[in-house]
Amino acid sequence: MKLNLNRRNFLALAAAGATLPLTTRLAMAQATPFNFQASWINDAEFAGYFLAIDKGYYKDEGLDVTYLSGGPDVIPESSLIAGKADLTLTTPDTTIKAIVEQGAPFKIIGAQYQKNPIGIVSLASNPIKTPQDLVGKTLAVPPVNVISVEAMLKISGVDRAAVNIVPYAYDPTPLIKGEIDASLDFTTNVPFTIQQAGVEATSFLLYDFGFTIFNDTVVVTTDTLAAKRKEIVSFLRASRKGWEENLKDTTVYPPTFAETWFKGTGRSIENEVYFNTAQKPLMEAAGGIFSMSEEDIAKNIEALAAVGIAATREMFDTTVLEEI
Amino acid sequence: MASGIRLEAVSRTFTSRGQATEALRGVSLDCAPGSFTALIGPSGCGKSTILRLCLGLDTADAGTLAVGDFSPTEATRQGLTGVAFQDAALLPWRSVEKNIALPLDVLGLPIADYRARIAELIALVGLTGYEKALPSELSGGMRQRVAIARALVTTPKVLFLDEPFGALDQILRRQMNIELQRIWMETQATTLLVTHGIDEAVFLADRVVVMASRPGRIAKIIEIDLPRPRDPALFNAEHFHALERQVSEALDGH
Amino acid sequence: MTRLRPLLNLAIILIVWEIVGQFQLVASGALPAPSAVLLRLITDWSDYPLHIGATLYGAGVGFVIGNLVAVAAGVLFALYPVSARVARGLNVAIFALPPIAISPILVLTLSDMAPRIVLAALGCYFVTMTATVVGLTQADARAVDVVRAYGGGKWAALRFVQWRNALPTILSGLRIAAPNAVLGSILAEFGGGGRWGLGVYLLGSLGRAEPDRLWGIGLVATAIAALAYFAFAALSHFVTRGTQAVTVPSAVLSSGDKPRPAWQQALIIAASVALPFALWWVLLALLRVPTMIAKTPPGLFDYLFLLPSAPIAQGKLLAALAQTLPMTLVGMVCGLALAFALALSSQIWPAIVRAFMPVALVTQTMPLVALTPLLVLMLGRGPAVILWITISVTFFPAFVTMAQGLLQVPRAALDVPKAYGAGIFKQLRLVSVPASLPYLFAATRLTVPRALLGVMIAEWLATGTGLGNLLNQSRGYLDYGMIWAVAVISVLISVMFYQIVVAVERRTLGRLGMASAE
Repeated sequence: MKLNLNRRNFLALAAAGATLPLTTRLAMAQATPFNFQASWINDAEFAGYFLAIDKGYYKDEGLDVTYLSGGPDVIPESSLIAGKADLTLTTPDTTIKAIVEQGAPFKIIGAQYQKNPIGIVSLASNPIKTPQDLVGKTLAVPPVNVISVEAMLKISGVDRAAVNIVPYAYDPTPLIKGEIDASLDFTTNVPFTIQQAGVEATSFLLYDFGFTIFNDTVVVTTDTLAAKRKEIVSFLRASRKGWEENLKDTTVYPPTFAETWFKGTGRSIENEVYFNTAQKPLMEAAGGIFSMSEEDIAKNIEALAAVGIAATREMFDTTVLEEI
Repeated sequence: MASGIRLEAVSRTFTSRGQATEALRGVSLDCAPGSFTALIGPSGCGKSTILRLCLGLDTADAGTLAVGDFSPTEATRQGLTGVAFQDAALLPWRSVEKNIALPLDVLGLPIADYRARIAELIALVGLTGYEKALPSELSGGMRQRVAIARALVTTPKVLFLDEPFGALDQILRRQMNIELQRIWMETQATTLLVTHGIDEAVFLADRVVVMASRPGRIAKIIEIDLPRPRDPALFNAEHFHALERQVSEALDGH
Repeated sequence: MTRLRPLLNLAIILIVWEIVGQFQLVASGALPAPSAVLLRLITDWSDYPLHIGATLYGAGVGFVIGNLVAVAAGVLFALYPVSARVARGLNVAIFALPPIAISPILVLTLSDMAPRIVLAALGCYFVTMTATVVGLTQADARAVDVVRAYGGGKWAALRFVQWRNALPTILSGLRIAAPNAVLGSILAEFGGGGRWGLGVYLLGSLGRAEPDRLWGIGLVATAIAALAYFAFAALSHFVTRGTQAVTVPSAVLSSGDKPRPAWQQALIIAASVALPFALWWVLLALLRVPTMIAKTPPGLFDYLFLLPSAPIAQGKLLAALAQTLPMTLVGMVCGLALAFALALSSQIWPAIVRAFMPVALVTQTMPLVALTPLLVLMLGRGPAVILWITISVTFFPAFVTMAQGLLQVPRAALDVPKAYGAGIFKQLRLVSVPASLPYLFAATRLTVPRALLGVMIAEWLATGTGLGNLLNQSRGYLDYGMIWAVAVISVLISVMFYQIVVAVERRTLGRLGMASAE
């Protein structure tokens, strides 16, 4: 008996006359319901899925996809455990930590980003180009990502105590104003924001300094994998199709979402185009979108071991990808 | 047709912070149907407690009470009783009319049947024209008269008055005393009046029950043999003063 | 002129703010000028309606549910005082729970709009419940006697006297509950995902480095809270006009409880302590939340004491407590001191304090997330920023309560020292301050849980220390046991502080023969 509120009532009350659906249900009589929990608010990071929904790729696969937006305080894995979502995107370090420490029944079945877009962003006027440059500096990191930064510092041989790590609430203002020297954020996104504020930014990826992990790893629970394997494969197939279409020309699709997916997010379309363009090289892989090569999985395991997270090959399941 | 009030060996002790106070010890009192009894005594002598026990607002530790042929609770539920307190205790959001009708609401009686009665009572207490006024628009004396009218609305056979004019000035109080006598003579209700005004007690009552405190008990009962109707001139009569002196001496413990 | 005075003050504040903003005088421009905020608001306006609608929906449904439950509970507690004593533990827990700690739990266990509604409802419950109990029990005891003298029982007294007497009190409770509901809904939006809501919009805009928009969203939230407040203030005025009690109630309705034997007393206290835990357990069982996410009392006990990882968890928790508790105490004392100083000043220099009020009001409803960059730039990330945030969330309710206490000092009592030529300071020292002591304690009780809330918010947003940070980090690490542990411990700490204040209050006021102020 889960407390659930009728979205229709909500819409009627909250926005009488609004035609925009709160979540998109591709209502099909026979379509199988499938809930997808995104890892962030609606931005270009999820352009492929928006496209697949708008173009009916999921519908063609017989899926009725409900898209659940994320945000800084939404923990995607929790949605899986709570049964709110069938599939989600995560950062592999937290997922694997949860498998090891909490016994969470997760399987990583794909990876949206072959290279983690997370990096250290700083101002060109006070550039931080390598982990060594961080010594004696103040770095703002979202509390969730502190372990990633600690891993990168350790791999690069920088003393953790030499860096002043403070919480980061995803607002670049303190960086622009010089209160902090650098922040950990998506390099596909924040440099644009900083440029908009009239300052030049510079950045480097944690990936390039030894913290070689994926990001937006596709995660399901072992139960769901057993029960809905067919739907999961269908979802990945349609999503891959959406991404491939979106990445053909990264400037084409973001503007088409302006009045739907991106409405009311407080972000500009130029920002989304920048994001979409910047993420392309981090996503493309020889095996196609979502692929996880043996070599890359090994790199992940190695990088995580450096932070004391004991990842194993069994946590990654590449067999689903093979069925696409 | 009126009903009496009977108390037999009634005791009531209050405990507060581990300290026991005997509000009443073995009090027996019999008020004949249609009689007017005044209870007078120093504060803490239990006179208000007697009234509260008779109204079922409190229960005795020992002894029996009867109002008419009933227990206090039964009597009040049947609408046998009427009551007015020292504070008019009007509901500030109800008009004069509606305040008078409150007992009807509580007893579940149809107000429509009592329209004439309410109008009559308003006239009786001299408030004609103020039917729709709110208590905040009335003077203290007018409010007290509303409370008296409210006490009479059910045509009670037994009337309890707890210092109903205690908060009024002397002049107003005399006027109200005269009015109360008139009302009582018309209704013939058995009346128990708690007061600390000696003149008021002597002027109104057939009997003045003088009480003493610690423990609360009856010290003396003084019969008032003045003929009725009693008129204001009586307040200056020699016999009236003699009776007042008797009550006063009884209060001092003689 | 006196009517124009507040407007004039507001104008002065706006002009100063505009100058500061335009010339980037504060925090190198992190404080935007009001004109910039306004322009931004106009540009962004098309985004707002859906966000406002969603926030109002969550707040509105929560407001209705929370207040219905609160009034029902208030009636129950007023009619059956034993129930109030049994529910005391639960009531204090609800009063004391820091929303920041409970929000992740709600988001984990409920879905969609439910967390917003529950948090909004929780924000309403205690205020309205207390107002209902006070309004019902402080009805004129003589009027209640009149009803009972005609054979009316508890329900008749409730129907004819008490409820109408309680109405103005309940309405003034609703006046405070309404902005609480709005803020509760926004707070749950931060953690709850979803597409719409001012909280969602604020989070989405955080990464844009546009302080003018953050301020715009914050001010819209403030305006909604203020509108909700004034709507109920107007309603309350409309209902109560012309029906003020004509005499001061001579006696407060006593509970009528006979003294109970010790074993019954003990049973009631035990039930009162056990009830919140029982409810926690039962709710989780009813909601069927997976055990990995939802920790029951024994589950939490396992996590903290029996599991192999227990020593690590304990260590983290104790380290966080060692950082949070001292700051909470210091922040509480500073907040109270400021409130007290302001309340006294309002007696001595009323004009200055009135001018300061609009600013103070805004600090109460502006979401702190929007202010954090500014505060961090001005105050850094040390104890100063924690203290500032803690003081800003604690001082206002305390100030209002204390000022109310000073206002209620009887004129006659002040006339005595005045007649002997005492100045304002002597009057305050000899009469006003001692006479308003019950309000000082009431203010302290209000402050306790808010101080912990303030410290945790500051730790979460700015310093990355203590319980606030532990809570945030545990969510990221899916360390559900720790999330529950932090939530439960922060509630327990609040309740403990609250009980200490209550105990001191009872002793002091008992000795002085004063009654406690609700």
